[in-house]
Amino acid sequence: MSAPVRTTTVHQRSSRVAAWNPAKLFSPRNIVVLVILVAVLAFAPTALGAYWTRIFTVCTIFSIAAAGIALLYGRLGLVSLGQVSLIGVGGWITLRVGHATSLPFEVVLIIAAVGTGAIGVLVGLPALRLSGLNLAIVTLMLAGAFEVIFTVTGFPNGGDGFLGRAEGGVLQQPLARPALGTSDPDYFRYVIIVATLMFLVIGLHLSNRPGRAWAAIRQSEAGALAAGIGTVRYRLWALAVVSATTGVAGGLLAGNAGLLDPISFKAPASILLFATVLIGGAFSLLGALIAGFLSQGLPPLLNALGVDGNLIFVLLGVGMIQAITTAPQGIAGQLQGLGRLIRVRVAGVRETRRTGRTPR
Amino acid sequence: MTGTLVVEDLTVVYGGVKPLNDVSLTFERDVCGLIGPNGAGKTTFFNVLSGFAVPAAGTLTFDGDDLLAMNAAKRARWGMRRTFQQEQVIHGLSAWDNVRLTAEHTGGRRSAVDDAIAFVELEALDRPGSELSMLERRLVEIAKTVVGAPKLVLLDEPGAGLDQAETERLIGLIRRIPGEFGALVILVDHDMDLVSTVCGTTAVLDFGRVIGIGGTADVLASAAVRSAYLGTADVEEPA
Amino acid sequence: MILPFVVAGVVLGSLYALSGVGMLVLYRTTGVLNFGYGALGAMSAMLAWQFVELRMQPVLAYVLGIIVATALSLLFGFLAGPFLATVTTLTKATATLGLALILLGVMLFAWNDKARTLRLATDTMGFNLGTRITLTQIICLALATLIVVGTSIYLRRSPTGTSMRALASDRELASMLGIRVRRVELLAWAVSGALGGISGILLSSQTRLEPVFLTFIVIPVLAAVVVGRFQSLVGTLIGGLVIGVVQAVASAFPATSPFSNATPFVVATIVILYLQRRKVVTIEVAR
Repeated sequence: MSAPVRTTTVHQRSSRVAAWNPAKLFSPRNIVVLVILVAVLAFAPTALGAYWTRIFTVCTIFSIAAAGIALLYGRLGLVSLGQVSLIGVGGWITLRVGHATSLPFEVVLIIAAVGTGAIGVLVGLPALRLSGLNLAIVTLMLAGAFEVIFTVTGFPNGGDGFLGRAEGGVLQQPLARPALGTSDPDYFRYVIIVATLMFLVIGLHLSNRPGRAWAAIRQSEAGALAAGIGTVRYRLWALAVVSATTGVAGGLLAGNAGLLDPISFKAPASILLFATVLIGGAFSLLGALIAGFLSQGLPPLLNALGVDGNLIFVLLGVGMIQAITTAPQGIAGQLQGLGRLIRVRVAGVRETRRTGRTPR
Repeated sequence: MTGTLVVEDLTVVYGGVKPLNDVSLTFERDVCGLIGPNGAGKTTFFNVLSGFAVPAAGTLTFDGDDLLAMNAAKRARWGMRRTFQQEQVIHGLSAWDNVRLTAEHTGGRRSAVDDAIAFVELEALDRPGSELSMLERRLVEIAKTVVGAPKLVLLDEPGAGLDQAETERLIGLIRRIPGEFGALVILVDHDMDLVSTVCGTTAVLDFGRVIGIGGTADVLASAAVRSAYLGTADVEEPA
Repeated sequence: MILPFVVAGVVLGSLYALSGVGMLVLYRTTGVLNFGYGALGAMSAMLAWQFVELRMQPVLAYVLGIIVATALSLLFGFLAGPFLATVTTLTKATATLGLALILLGVMLFAWNDKARTLRLATDTMGFNLGTRITLTQIICLALATLIVVGTSIYLRRSPTGTSMRALASDRELASMLGIRVRRVELLAWAVSGALGGISGILLSSQTRLEPVFLTFIVIPVLAAVVVGRFQSLVGTLIGGLVIGVVQAVASAFPATSPFSNATPFVVATIVILYLQRRKVVTIEVAR
């Protein structure tokens, strides 16, 4: 097929200024983000009420996984349709280690991150050699296979044996929440802080050496090789980072209720999450936040409005097609466009017309 | 002083055809040209040199280093730089980061990026690759070839899409690469003006074989080369 | 007693293959690998069941179900086709995930995900051959073989088939040769939708009539297409049969039974990795 190929470009911020510049830390953007973060931590649980605080806890957890999908899709052009399975893997490890040891929850989270990262790399090692379409197929099948495995093994609930299952008459035992977040509002804050850390990990990767290498690989494998980039190594590193952060999301999800149900990790869930990333926007972390809300906050919202929850599939399906065809930057891109427009208006600065731009 | 590239008995087989058939040649000084009609095997030659195609037979050595023992990325780290017919400026990165990318994977320092940028006199440093003009893109490509101690620079039609004045600016830069960065430059181009101004030595490929190599003026004047080009009407007479 | 499982596996496999052929015809003509293919079949089966429940003549109900699947496929091809022609294969496939979600949502809204059964009239007819074989099973097998052979001949011999193959290799060139690209593409969407509808009804009678389950039957079907290397109809048939039989036999033993549904993943992964064992870096520029 030799038809012209449309691609979207994402502009990485240039970091030509000296590597560590304290002034950069206090850029207007970072200050705004920081203020919002503090405000959310302080007031959100009260403002949202008990029910929506619980919902937004889960939304935030899923936005970590969404950020991983966005990294793979937006920066490397890889479609992974099995990311919810990786949340399940992280959750399984957390429950298993949490029940077996008396380690603090934070240590268990780190173990879940390392374990999920390792599994992601192990699975990805052969799959990363695949071209785009094949990788999408393999990850979709993987989602199907993990669905089967989780149904068979179940999630550890305080029982004996490797699988840690308490069956029959034995009472199942939820995993205790971390000491810093035993109540719902505190766990919400806990999740927000961990998610911020995960976003920082991903963001720092994107704006530094790995991010540049990924941008090169996405655009042209040959060009990347000619620049001396070990393409396999960088792809695997991307997968390791994404799997590890997704594993942390799984750990947080396990810590939330203390128990997990295989029914939450079926293949359609992975596809839905992927759709929400496209709709939210795969090129920014704001998009990942929106995706987290669309996947976990929209169904209860529709429910509250009296709309059948199944229509979420229709809504996200339409939204996904719309995003692919007309809004490749997603909602986040449109919001950022709007923000830029407002800034330009406010400052009264007219965008200087750029010269020397080639028509294409 | 630039190094010496020695190619011996190089043969490439794709299915039943041989885009390169028993090619032996030596490029040893400054800027060398490689010309030939369409389909002569020029790009295949570059692909073999830079590690994107594997030859069926033959050896490639540069000052005694065995190039075939390295893969494409390793060759880049060793000091191989190449451009493609279609420029490869990365849209999502600024012009500066485009050059920096090559530097950080080939052992170039931060100052090397500044030097390369200064060398090509590029001004639009913070603009994303997608917004650069064709000239700016070609300049970024040249800058990428001179960071991180290059030894061998392969330029595949570096002036494609540029007008006369822009091409001349590019010619000036290419001529300075061997002296200022110590790299041997090999240039593939259809533009005979460009080749005859820039290249001291030129080799001619036709149907995958070398049909002439030597001083550029002599080679362009030779009978074999002229007959190879007879079928292609768009080639200008050398000045 | 493994024979009943083998028979069930062969039948299931032939249905995977039948679906796979529909998927392949579309992929080879338009470059679209339709992840929503299972959902089209599910829709056709659910509608057929609904019509039968409403006391419609069964045959008429099946035909209506198939017609709706064909129409939906055609509609998606009509609306999205012009856009899909301009994007990469991966984006084309990704867009069809949207189709899958929409159809799935509509089905869950209309019917929920309760297990139902679609009884075909041919289920009660049959004969004994060591194990009981129903007429439906015979029809599945015969239809799959017939369609694979028929489609192969059609693609090779008929003018439309030639156009389809021309499109598959170079869309622009085909249009310059005077092939009415759009019409051929829409034909492929229709044929593919019809095959999806037929196999959806048959699959629901052999497995379960559940929207989610039938939508994700696209996974073994994809696996069959992968075995056919995205081009060979016969390879797809063989792939479907192998996956069906392995899956059914695996479900016969308590130790492997829970994992039998992971068969397509295992088979397809092995095949994909085998096909990709020598990776060639192509020098191309995507923009």
